[in-house]
Amino acid sequence: MQYQPSAAELLAAIAELLEDDLLPAVPDALKHRTRVAANLARILEREEALGPDAARRERERLAALVGGGGGADGDDAVRLALELARRVRADDDPGFQADAWEALVAICRDDLAIAKPGHDAWEGQ
Amino acid sequence: MTDLAEGLAEFLSGHLGEPVTVTGLAASSAGARRGNVLFDAEVPGRPTLRLAATILPTAAIELNPITAEAAVRNLAEEHGVPVPHIHAVCTDPGFVGGPFFVSDRVDGESVPRRVLRLVQAEGIGDRVAGQLGEALARLHAIDPARAPGDLMDDPSGNPAETALVGADRMLAELPLPRPALALGMRWLECHLPTAPPRRTIVHTDARNGNLLVSARGLEAVLDWEGTVRHGDPMQDLAWPALRMWRFKEDGREIGGFAGREPFVAGYEAAGGAFDAERFAWWKVLGTLRWALGLAGQSAAHLDGSFRSIVMAASGRRVPELEWDLLMLVRPSH
Repeated sequence: MQYQPSAAELLAAIAELLEDDLLPAVPDALKHRTRVAANLARILEREEALGPDAARRERERLAALVGGGGGADGDDAVRLALELARRVRADDDPGFQADAWEALVAICRDDLAIAKPGHDAWEGQ
Repeated sequence: MTDLAEGLAEFLSGHLGEPVTVTGLAASSAGARRGNVLFDAEVPGRPTLRLAATILPTAAIELNPITAEAAVRNLAEEHGVPVPHIHAVCTDPGFVGGPFFVSDRVDGESVPRRVLRLVQAEGIGDRVAGQLGEALARLHAIDPARAPGDLMDDPSGNPAETALVGADRMLAELPLPRPALALGMRWLECHLPTAPPRRTIVHTDARNGNLLVSARGLEAVLDWEGTVRHGDPMQDLAWPALRMWRFKEDGREIGGFAGREPFVAGYEAAGGAFDAERFAWWKVLGTLRWALGLAGQSAAHLDGSFRSIVMAASGRRVPELEWDLLMLVRPSH
C-alpha cells in the first residue's frame, strides 16, 4: 500500500501547481493547454473520490434495464452499455424508452459530477 | 512575422501592380486550424489600407477550396450578408507558407465570452440575434446555382438524411458504447424530416465565435470554410442555438445573446420561412454530431494522429453533450 498523499490529494497538488504557479508564468501560447491540463487534474481528483460509487450505480442501472449482469467488473459494464445501446435503437416500447431515458439521465449526472460539475443544473433546451 | 509581412507585401505588390509595404502585423484570434493576421498596407499616394489575411497552414486541411470559400463569401456580400470584403485569394504557398485570402479588416469582437460581455454591456442581445437571423435569411435567399462550382455539395435530395447516415457511421465507430448517443440517434431516425421545400446555400457554422460584433451590433459572419451549396436552411438556424455556443448564458438560446423570438423575427422579416420542427431536429443532430466529434478528437489523440492534451480532454467533454442531447429528446409521456 502506498503511503499518503492519496492519488486524489496528489492530483489536487498537481492542479494547484498548474493553476497557481505555472499558468501565470507560461507564455500566452501555452496558457490554454495549461488550463486544460489543470482542469484534467481536477477531473481526475474528482474521479478518485466519486468514480467507484458512480461505476457501481451505473452497472446497477444498466442491469435493471437490460437484465443479466451480476458481474462486478468493468467488462460487464461495457457489455451492459452495449446491450442498452442496441436495445434503445430496436425496442419501440414507450415504457422502455422512458425508463432508458431516466436511467441515462441519472448515469449522465454521475458522469458530470466528475467531468463538469454543475452542467446538469440546466434542464432546458 | 517579418517573413510573413514580406510575403504579404510581395503578393499585394504583384496583385495591385504597385509597391506595397506591410506594417503593424498582429495575430488575431488563432483558430485551431487557420490563422488570422491583421495588418496595414501602405501604397504610395493612397490612404492606408486596413486589411486582414486568413492563412491555412496547408491546402491539405481545406474543407472547401479556399477559392470557393472566398467566392461564396463575396456572393453572400453581394446579397447583403455582412462579411469583410475579400480583395484577393492566393493558392500559391510560396508567399506565406500556405493558401490565404486578404480581406478588409472590420473592427469588433469575435471571442465568445468577450462578445457576450460587450452585448450585455451595450444591451444589444436582441439586436444581434435579429441581425443574425436577417443575415441567414439573405444567404438562404440566394439561388444555389449561383454558388461557385467547386463549393461542397450534397447530391442527395434530403440533407437531413445525409447527416443522419454520417452520424450513424461515426456512432458505429465509437470504441466504447454510449447508450445516450444511441438514444439520440433513435430519436433522430424516428423524427427524420422529409426533404426541405427549398434547399439553399448553408453556412453551417454561423454561431457565437464566428460572428464579429461591435457596440453597433453584428458586423460580420466569418468562417465560411464549411459552406455547402444545397443544404436545409434550418440547419443554419439550429446550429447557433445549441447550448455549447451560449457560454453559460443558458437561458438565451441564440448564442447567449437572446431568446429565439428576435432571431426568428429577423429571419422572417428578411424573407426566411422558419420551420420549428425541422429546427428542433437539427438541434438534436448538431448536438449528437458534436458529441461524436469530441469522441473522435480523443481517438485522434490516442491513436497518435493528433497528439494534444486539448484533443485528449475532448473525450471527457462527451457527457456534457450527452446531457444536452438527453434534455432535447426528453420523452413527452
